[in-house]
Amino acid sequence: MLQMQLLIGFISIVFFVIIFEFIRKRYLREEYAILWLATSFAIAILSLWPGLIDIVSRVTGFYYITAVLILIFLFVIAILMHYSIVISKLKDVNKELVQKCALLELRIYDLENKR
Amino acid sequence: MKKRIAVIIPAYNEEPSIGSVIKEVGELGDDYDAIVINDNSTDRTSEKAAMEGAIIINLPYNLGIGGAVQTGFKYAFMKGYDICVQVDGDGQHPPNEIPKLLAPLFEDGIDIIIGSRFSETTKYSITFMRGLGIKILSLFLKLTTGLNIKDPTSGFRAINRRVLELFSKHYPQDYPEPESLVFAYKQHLTIKEVPVNMSERMYGESSITPVRAAYYMVKVLIAMFIDLFKKY
Repeated sequence: MLQMQLLIGFISIVFFVIIFEFIRKRYLREEYAILWLATSFAIAILSLWPGLIDIVSRVTGFYYITAVLILIFLFVIAILMHYSIVISKLKDVNKELVQKCALLELRIYDLENKR
Repeated sequence: MKKRIAVIIPAYNEEPSIGSVIKEVGELGDDYDAIVINDNSTDRTSEKAAMEGAIIINLPYNLGIGGAVQTGFKYAFMKGYDICVQVDGDGQHPPNEIPKLLAPLFEDGIDIIIGSRFSETTKYSITFMRGLGIKILSLFLKLTTGLNIKDPTSGFRAINRRVLELFSKHYPQDYPEPESLVFAYKQHLTIKEVPVNMSERMYGESSITPVRAAYYMVKVLIAMFIDLFKKY
């Protein structure tokens, strides 16, 4: 039990350092950084307070490992869905930009050639 | 007063055919302007189009047919055209058939006219799978919207300025031909199909295998189904 706690604690620290580095180097925007910092924080809490999972599994009625797995699974699904939305929006905005760019280029051409 | 007609031609690597399409549009009269949307072709499509004196919009990267066509709509709307006709750059839509599309637009005040390859006089032959796919899409449209369109995948179309304004704001990107019909239905636009002659593709082979065709069909049907519930 202690070994596992130490391992999870170690993972949470490594995770936190990586996220911190990413923010520092500006690989991550703040809005996403907060999400991941919260994740590393959640892992840290789990390592410091293993009883939390017992409480969660008792409340939800899931068995220990299953409860953890399902929670992680739901969390990952939520993040992936969030990214799908972000990517869709990005693609849309990008399309509008590209169209405007092409139309402006034609306008410049027309103005230069006095059409 | 003469109506100004924008003939928008989406083109991706259509170097062999684009010249003659533009030339034939020019032969229709000076109220017609050929506007080529070059979807980041890797060949000399843009140069060929320029040689024929078309207006050319070069996209900085490949947007796909939906995005390319919408760029044309945006241009035509901005420039105040009354009518917009969409013609493929590969030569399968003969520009001399355009007047057939325009007649119901002017005379009956219909919003969208679709040039259909299914008519008694057509010489156009298609593969069994493609024909089946088109039939399924057509049936789907009929059941969900009541529209009677035999060829929902046809990209040979004419629209009036009201539709031009709508399409320049919202135009489906994934499967634009069938999806735009669902969108038009939801916007209470009138749609009519007109039989036209189409030529065989001038060159090149369609790369669609039966499995990919079936997969494509499923994707299109799901997209169209979702479009029925979309809010704009």
